Amino acid sequence: MSEETMQSGTNSGTTFPKMTRETQKAPLDPESIIKAIRAIDDGPKVLKLYMEMCARCGTCAAQCPVYFGDSARKYNPVERSDLIRSIYKKYCTTSGKLLGGLVGARDYREGELEEWAEHFYTCTGCRRCASFCPMGIDNSVITRKGRAILDAAGITPETMSKVVQISLDTGNTDGATPEAFRAAIDFLEEEMKDEHGIDIKIPVDCEGVEYFYVPPSGDVLVNPEATTGVAKVFFVLGMQDKWTMSSRYFDGANYGLFTGSDADMKADNKPYIEEAKRLGCKVLFMGECGHAYRIMKMIMEPAKWWGDLPFKIINCMEFTAEKIKSGKLQFDKSKNPQPVTYHDPCNFGRSCNIVDEPRIILEASCQDFREMFPNRGENWCCGGGGGLSAMDDIIDFRMNIAGKKKMEQIRATGAKYVAAACSNCKRQLSQLMEHYKEDIAVGGVHDMLSRAILVNGKAADRVSYEA
Amino acid sequence: MEVFAFFVGGILPYITVVLFIFGMGYRFYVWAKTPQPGRMTLFPAPDSLAGGVLAESLFFPSLFKGDKILWLFAWIFHATLALVFLGHIRVFTALIDRMLLAFGMNPEGIDVMSATAGGVAGVLLLTTGLLLLVRRISVRRVRDISGIPDFSVMILLIAIIVTGDLMRFGTHFDLEQTRVWTVSLLTFSPIVPPNGGFILHAFLAMILIIYIPYSKILHFGGIFFTQALVRRR
Repeated sequence: MSEETMQSGTNSGTTFPKMTRETQKAPLDPESIIKAIRAIDDGPKVLKLYMEMCARCGTCAAQCPVYFGDSARKYNPVERSDLIRSIYKKYCTTSGKLLGGLVGARDYREGELEEWAEHFYTCTGCRRCASFCPMGIDNSVITRKGRAILDAAGITPETMSKVVQISLDTGNTDGATPEAFRAAIDFLEEEMKDEHGIDIKIPVDCEGVEYFYVPPSGDVLVNPEATTGVAKVFFVLGMQDKWTMSSRYFDGANYGLFTGSDADMKADNKPYIEEAKRLGCKVLFMGECGHAYRIMKMIMEPAKWWGDLPFKIINCMEFTAEKIKSGKLQFDKSKNPQPVTYHDPCNFGRSCNIVDEPRIILEASCQDFREMFPNRGENWCCGGGGGLSAMDDIIDFRMNIAGKKKMEQIRATGAKYVAAACSNCKRQLSQLMEHYKEDIAVGGVHDMLSRAILVNGKAADRVSYEA
Repeated sequence: MEVFAFFVGGILPYITVVLFIFGMGYRFYVWAKTPQPGRMTLFPAPDSLAGGVLAESLFFPSLFKGDKILWLFAWIFHATLALVFLGHIRVFTALIDRMLLAFGMNPEGIDVMSATAGGVAGVLLLTTGLLLLVRRISVRRVRDISGIPDFSVMILLIAIIVTGDLMRFGTHFDLEQTRVWTVSLLTFSPIVPPNGGFILHAFLAMILIIYIPYSKILHFGGIFFTQALVRRR
């Protein structure tokens, strides 16, 4: 890549926050950076292949939510991936060593890492590019490598590194104590008592039960209706004593995926596996959190991080959809009369194939379910993927650029409620509605179920819901 | 010129074979052994991995969904390239001709068929090749990411197509000389064809073949590996 291609586009007004550098981390010297790039030769295979396979046809840019929002050169996925690719070529390929700039190879520029931060934190890692790339190149893999190099050098956005640290220290990304968690659960049980006039339990720390429910912490602390929905499903099925939550491990969110640090991702994951083993569950029952489920199902389990597991991993939406199909759950759809649409979180849709299940649940519990287009594996990212949703310092970028396409898509449905099975999507979407002054509620999938499911023949007795 | 012709006709073919086979073999070996612990599947994934990868390699369905105009140019270009590659078997051996004669075709019929198919292919290749080049220059998101390697490969390809078309549409080219050449190469006693246009065409084509394992045209072959990783259920 030439010097020229390193310059950013002119029509982008977004400024990117300075990253604070943690000095205790690895040094920023060029040797370390080059060493990290050379390590691509050791795998993973996808990354190594992507270093040389791009035909540079530009299809990814045409399908990228960020490039759609602003066609500045720096937002072209190939341009971003070239930051690493061009240095890899210089050091790891015959043609790059021999011909240098003629084949797009270049040396690392001292101090360039500081610029990388903006580039690699303006990719939402949604993998939409890969779905349309004729070679199947997934630019999010290169983005994650870039973030890993940044993280090793101590350059990770503060918001993001804080979340990682809090989660490693407390077991959840909100830093909530077991007491706070129990208080939240008590509150949810009271809510359900108000709604249905009966006791519906959310079991906590019960050993020897079949299902260990791990939602994102947001589904307990911020938008807790998803969790009451799950509790009602178990209650209706007469399985109230067959599941549990853990007062210490109730948050599947794992920002190691987003900062690129495999070590952090594993360290964050490990206590959950240990807790599942300690509780003796047969099923690790993941909640409405796309990246948490993806790490468990597509990364940790097949890579055998912790060997063979004594339990299965399923998602709560698979379980509920299955029970709806077999006629075990009934609904009063009139409780959800407003038009409802579903936003496929990238990690559930493209990466894990959980696409039919949320639709089965929403169609069963809502009067007017509408698709947005395109959807499922081809859905547009909300604009907050890859952990960006947690970064309020780039909210301008998320609202005006990355989330622009999503807003158009949602408007076109005419829906008054957008369901998304992902806390990060929900946060981004809520902020989009506020930013674009749209009166559209945002929530989860089991949230809608919770409002309409018949418990002892009766749906929740409630007049209105905030969002 | 004599020296150049002998280099192209008598030495370069051997270098080409060695560099291409070594280069591609080494690539395939390294890719096969590089570990891939997690799964990178993109959904919806095909039921059969082999079927999915084959479909992607033959018809580019992902590209079709992503950019219909590029798909049209690229698919015709690649499909014609594959057909032209097969058509070139006739350049090197009389086997195909003998087979067709055995099926009852006469030599004139073979020539007419070859001239028609080859002519159409030659025009299609040149047209779509130029269109791809024009697209690379005129569409900003593609121009932004295009550099010397992208243009040089495209220009090399177009030069090969043009020199090939000149033989196809120019004065009659006697295939006997290349068939003799093939046998002479196999017996390590090269007899260089006396046709200057052919020497130039062969030279450019061999440069391209040598370049494949060491450049972005590695996607020929590489596509099976990348697609296998994202289409695996």
